[in-house]
Amino acid sequence: MIELKNIYKWVNQEGSKIFLLKDLNLTINEGEFISIMGPSGSGKSTLLNVIGMLDGFDEGEYLFNGSVVSYLKEKEKTKLYKQHIGFVFQAYHLIDELNVYENIETPLLYQDYKSSERKALVSDMLDRFNIVGKKDLFPQQLSGGQQQLVGIARALITKPKIILADEPTGNLNSKQGEEIMQLFKKLNQEDGVTIVQVTHSEKNAEYGSRIINLLDGRIEK
Amino acid sequence: MIKNYFKIAWRNLFRNKGFSLINIFGLTIGITSTILISLWVQDELNFDKDQKNYHNIYQVVANRNFNNQVFTDYNMAFPLAASLEEGYPEIKNAAVISGFGPSVLSFNNKKIKKNGLSVSNHFFDIFSFTFIRGNPQTAIRDEGSIVLTESGVKAFFGNEDPINKFIRIDNKRDVKVTAIIADLPINSSFSFEYLEPYTAEFIKSAMPEWQNSFSYVYVQTLPGADIKKIDKNINALIKKHVPGDNVSTYFSFPMSKWHLESDFKDGVNNGGMIDYVKLFAIIAIIILVIACINFMNLSTARSEKKAKEVGVRKTLGSNKKQLIFQFLSESLLITVLAFIISIAAVYLLLPSFNLLVNKRLSLPVYEPIFWIASILIILFTGFVSGSYPAIYLSSFNPVTVLKGTILAGKKALMPRRVLVTGQFIISILLISATIIVYQQIQYLKNKPKGYNSENLVFIPASPDFNKNYKIIKQELLKNGYADAVTRTSSPLTDITWNSPAPEWEGKSKNDEILVSLLTADVDFTKTIHLKILQGKEFSGMPSDSSAMILNKTAVKAMGLKNPIGMQMRYGKNSFTVIGVVDDMITESPYKAIKPLLIFYNDGSPDYITLRLSASLSISQALKSIEAVCSKYNPAYPFEYQFASEAYNNKFMAEELIGKLTNIFAGLAIFICCIGLAGLTAFTIEKRSKELGIRKVLGATLKNLVFLISNEFIKLVIIALTITIPLSWILMNKWLKNYEYRINISVWPFIIVGISILGLTLLIVLFNTLKTASKNPIKSLRTE
Repeated sequence: MIELKNIYKWVNQEGSKIFLLKDLNLTINEGEFISIMGPSGSGKSTLLNVIGMLDGFDEGEYLFNGSVVSYLKEKEKTKLYKQHIGFVFQAYHLIDELNVYENIETPLLYQDYKSSERKALVSDMLDRFNIVGKKDLFPQQLSGGQQQLVGIARALITKPKIILADEPTGNLNSKQGEEIMQLFKKLNQEDGVTIVQVTHSEKNAEYGSRIINLLDGRIEK
Repeated sequence: MIKNYFKIAWRNLFRNKGFSLINIFGLTIGITSTILISLWVQDELNFDKDQKNYHNIYQVVANRNFNNQVFTDYNMAFPLAASLEEGYPEIKNAAVISGFGPSVLSFNNKKIKKNGLSVSNHFFDIFSFTFIRGNPQTAIRDEGSIVLTESGVKAFFGNEDPINKFIRIDNKRDVKVTAIIADLPINSSFSFEYLEPYTAEFIKSAMPEWQNSFSYVYVQTLPGADIKKIDKNINALIKKHVPGDNVSTYFSFPMSKWHLESDFKDGVNNGGMIDYVKLFAIIAIIILVIACINFMNLSTARSEKKAKEVGVRKTLGSNKKQLIFQFLSESLLITVLAFIISIAAVYLLLPSFNLLVNKRLSLPVYEPIFWIASILIILFTGFVSGSYPAIYLSSFNPVTVLKGTILAGKKALMPRRVLVTGQFIISILLISATIIVYQQIQYLKNKPKGYNSENLVFIPASPDFNKNYKIIKQELLKNGYADAVTRTSSPLTDITWNSPAPEWEGKSKNDEILVSLLTADVDFTKTIHLKILQGKEFSGMPSDSSAMILNKTAVKAMGLKNPIGMQMRYGKNSFTVIGVVDDMITESPYKAIKPLLIFYNDGSPDYITLRLSASLSISQALKSIEAVCSKYNPAYPFEYQFASEAYNNKFMAEELIGKLTNIFAGLAIFICCIGLAGLTAFTIEKRSKELGIRKVLGATLKNLVFLISNEFIKLVIIALTITIPLSWILMNKWLKNYEYRINISVWPFIIVGISILGLTLLIVLFNTLKTASKNPIKSLRTE
């Protein structure tokens, strides 16, 4: 599904290159649950952003479902990730001005779903996550775990093939974190959603089917 | 402590350069406009104030009621002043003044046309002027004296001493210079260049003339005199001398109203310039407030940034009052900077502003009032713009603020939205007013005048001119310099000779109609291209001396069915109506056309009216005509005025008002725009996280621009809904002042609506593009 070949990414600082990703090779197959680990600054988030096409790279090749991402135009890239990728963030990144229902609905607005379809899809999702009663609340009125639940619901609403999660439990307590990880596992096993998560916690990493350790921008063998 | 406040304020100024620049810029424009308008307003309010007897000077004025059409007349009978001075103890002095048109003054070989007045003895007792030479007691005591203004002296004598030298007036009489007075200030109701006493011969002939009114009469009362009683006495006095006059009521018109409240409608004093003075005083305050609103909006908009500072300061023990002072010192500092720049701007702009408003305004830096006003402006601006942000920001709760969850709810946005909507309302109001004023002026200007003013020129006549008129006319026509030539008693654009209507068969007893009178020579309608509706015009036959031409309005007003051949009687003289001509605008384009009676005069009219040859260029034609005129009229310099120019001069006041509102409406909208730009920038900065999330979720650039502009477009639409009916009502009220007026159409509002919406979209678009096209992870990464 995703193939990264010899990916390099760097920034120029005072004339010398500082590598964020260095000769990185990674293949992700459909249905996998991958945990990316590594110390701070090892390039975990950068890697996730590259996979999510939010960030570019300087050298190498990125194949998504067989098409070469670097050749795609901005618009095609947006279309690709709009349809296939869902994002979950450590800080949830819910829109403060919108309530739970509207937050979950937002991605659908950007994909031209009809209003009746949107209603059906969001209701389904609220049901599935057991948050129907909270649909009119605003993010500030929710606990961290609940906010992240909404974040995941929002990521799933467009039925993406892959979910990219950047430390999804980083701001949560251990109980809330465990619930989220159980949810990921269920999504992976029952719905066949490919999941790539970045995490600091060994325990959370164990939920994945494969663990990748990053150090200084490359995968430790 | 205060030093510390300003130190912090000074640092903040530099830390937030964009914010400071927008605020200083906006406030500078606001303060500059306010200073300029204030100078103008002050000058208008100070009209004639340099007169020592300002509060006790009155002009005697009459309301003359013709068939319920009241017209207010300043022309009085000559002997009135003398009688008033004699018989009434509460009248200290009275003076009579007559202007007999400009005269040519000559000294050695210099010939210059000057505007002068003939004045009676006590003129200088009532009115105060600065004497440079001579003294007010003796200056006009003797017949054959003349008082010149300083610039007049320069023109004739250069640096020579003019006192006791003789000047020749109109190539007829020699008068002796007895005194020099300083040039009159621009804000004086008088505008003469020389003064002379009446001749004894003139006084002798004019003293018994109680009926004929051609002079202005002024009185100086004792302080605290009862004006009602004086008015009663004046009316009784005139009634005694003119028992047959049933149309006139006399009253004393105080000097304080001469300039500012000079309009009369149906005999009632009805404002005037004062309305515009008030209007601009309001506009000055509005512009300043708009600039202040910018400051408020931008300050509260960046409260997110400030919130943390407030929280920290509060936990460190600062109380609310100290915080308010902290923020107020910031707004005061910005205001002071803006004020300093404004003073520089006013210095740079004053010359062009003076040109625009035709004044000699300057910053009165040596007068304490200037410094008091400056401090007031700074304090007003600083406090108005700083108070709301200071109170708002200092009210933050340190615990919630430091946790990072500052109130982002709709409540916090409300005041800002109201303020922005208010700004839009004011701007839209000013702009639609500007458009409607412009439309009205254009409408009046383009209204058919009844005659063709293109290439039509008025030349003042003189005795020599009238003597040689036949030859001059012949020469002009023969050589093809002019297409047609005629003579009239006054320029077509300024027929102010009014009289009661003559007697005619079938006139009812109470038919008091006021008519305008004009004399004309042969070729009158041919020269000015006036349509003859019935009959014919003067042809130079002997019978023309008892002929009369009426205009359409006169026929209607007098209710004549078959006017041609009717007899019109003025006392013993009878005139036969030989023609009816179309109406033309001869006085004010704002008022209804008056009945006009035209007599024949081939003796000594005052103006030559001619149409320049269409086949020559204007400068060629004028040059050739000048040559002919100087040949036959050597004593007078060649002078002319275009009919179209004279007509356009009637719009000077309106055009000035139009121009001023134009400029200040433009400035108001400009201040709004920079405020809006700043506000969008802050909104976007605040929502950059949201924009990032939305982009990650798949929002396109279009989606984002729409999202942000939506917020402002809503406000504009609210403002439009409020303003359109409001300005419609206000402008209709203004238009009611005009007899001829436009109907307000929807177009000005459509234009204003579209342009304001467009402008808003443009500003938002410009600001949003930058952020929206940025990589979203940049804004999300900072978490």
